[in-house]
Amino acid sequence: MNSPPERIPAAARSLADELDRLEQIVRALEADDLDLDAALALFEDGVACLRAARERLAVAQLRVRSVLEDADGTLRDTPLDA
Amino acid sequence: MSISLTQDVLTVSQLAGAVKELLEGSVPPVWVRGEVTACKVWSSGHWYFTLGDAGAQLRCCMWRTYAQRAGRPPADGTSVYAFGRPTLFEGKGEFQFLVQRMLPTAALGDQQLRLERVKTALAADGLFDPSRKRRLPRYPSRIAVITSADGAALRDIATVTRRRWPSATLLVLASRVQGDGAARELVAALRLVERLRVDVCIVARGGGDRLDLAAFNDEGVCRALASVPVPTISAIGHETDISLSDLVADVRAATPSAAAELAFADVAVVRRQVQELGGRLARSLGRRAELLEERLARAGDRLEAAMEQRLGSAESRADRLGAELDALSPLRVLERGYAVARGPDGRVLRRRADFVPGNDFSLRVADGVVPSQVRVE
Repeated sequence: MNSPPERIPAAARSLADELDRLEQIVRALEADDLDLDAALALFEDGVACLRAARERLAVAQLRVRSVLEDADGTLRDTPLDA
Repeated sequence: MSISLTQDVLTVSQLAGAVKELLEGSVPPVWVRGEVTACKVWSSGHWYFTLGDAGAQLRCCMWRTYAQRAGRPPADGTSVYAFGRPTLFEGKGEFQFLVQRMLPTAALGDQQLRLERVKTALAADGLFDPSRKRRLPRYPSRIAVITSADGAALRDIATVTRRRWPSATLLVLASRVQGDGAARELVAALRLVERLRVDVCIVARGGGDRLDLAAFNDEGVCRALASVPVPTISAIGHETDISLSDLVADVRAATPSAAAELAFADVAVVRRQVQELGGRLARSLGRRAELLEERLARAGDRLEAAMEQRLGSAESRADRLGAELDALSPLRVLERGYAVARGPDGRVLRRRADFVPGNDFSLRVADGVVPSQVRVE
């Protein structure tokens, strides 16, 4: 059985971006000089970053796929036992 | 024939300069093969010698910087390959060959000469420049691996990746890594990388003949490697035996396992980092929650029911939340008993003065909004 094709979230933030943003938010909140609305908005943003980061770090199975180019130039990848 | 002295008379320097320019401009740096005679080492460190064959002789000069790299001056009769460029030494009116590299032919097979030629060409195009080395991304998730399909290299890379970053995807482009056709297959594989949307490309060689690095010294392979649009890691040579591809790659790893170690962060470390940030985020909210509570407290008795949680508990709750990050959301904070009061215009009501007797406002609590009114005393 073929596994589903790779999905690449378009224009998604990378894990590095999420962690950098989270770090910034935490620092800003710790600095304690924001008004409440701004702090709550920032907090919510932070939770979203945190969630996204955790999703990316979720336990998953390593995928090893073999890529071949067809005669017509199409790339095909199939699971590989490694 | 008459000579007009009024025109077209050059000084010696002008003529010599023109010839020098012509010479240097029209003959590019080149390898020359010949026999060394009369090599003289000057106290300045420069070498002067003659390179000759049956039909001609070249006066050669090797500046100290280059001579130092060449080691000992060659004995008379030594057959060498010399790389350099021709010039005119104006001071003596002498045609000279300025040598930059010299390799005794006896110590070198044709393969070595080819290697030197490729190396010189690649260096001239800046492919070894430290300034063009790209940094590896911090947390790559898709990596192209170019190696032989059945080799130990892929197994080693997969093992390390499974341990360090199990959510990764390895896209394997199989290629022979030695023998006939290896260079052609490597070039084809390297060119496919840009269509794979990967973060990094590893080129690895596992097993095989320790000495057969020919494919990785191939000029086409090196240039294809340099053109890969993402950072590259090579795991080809051995400690003592570096291929040109190793020099072109952005990062060189000693082994395929080491390449995977360099490519992938350790997920356990990153998880701890996220955990720590989550804890700090929670505690920062704890301080905010206290502030919120204080403000609401000042807003009057009506709101007391919405603030049963006391100030002191906010910190400890927040600490616990650090460990349970899913619980981190403003809604959960409201669930703990806090509420936010907003006026009809959505503005947060922070002070007693914001609550005008008789006016409507809304209380945002965990499961919804409570329409409220400030009692008229």
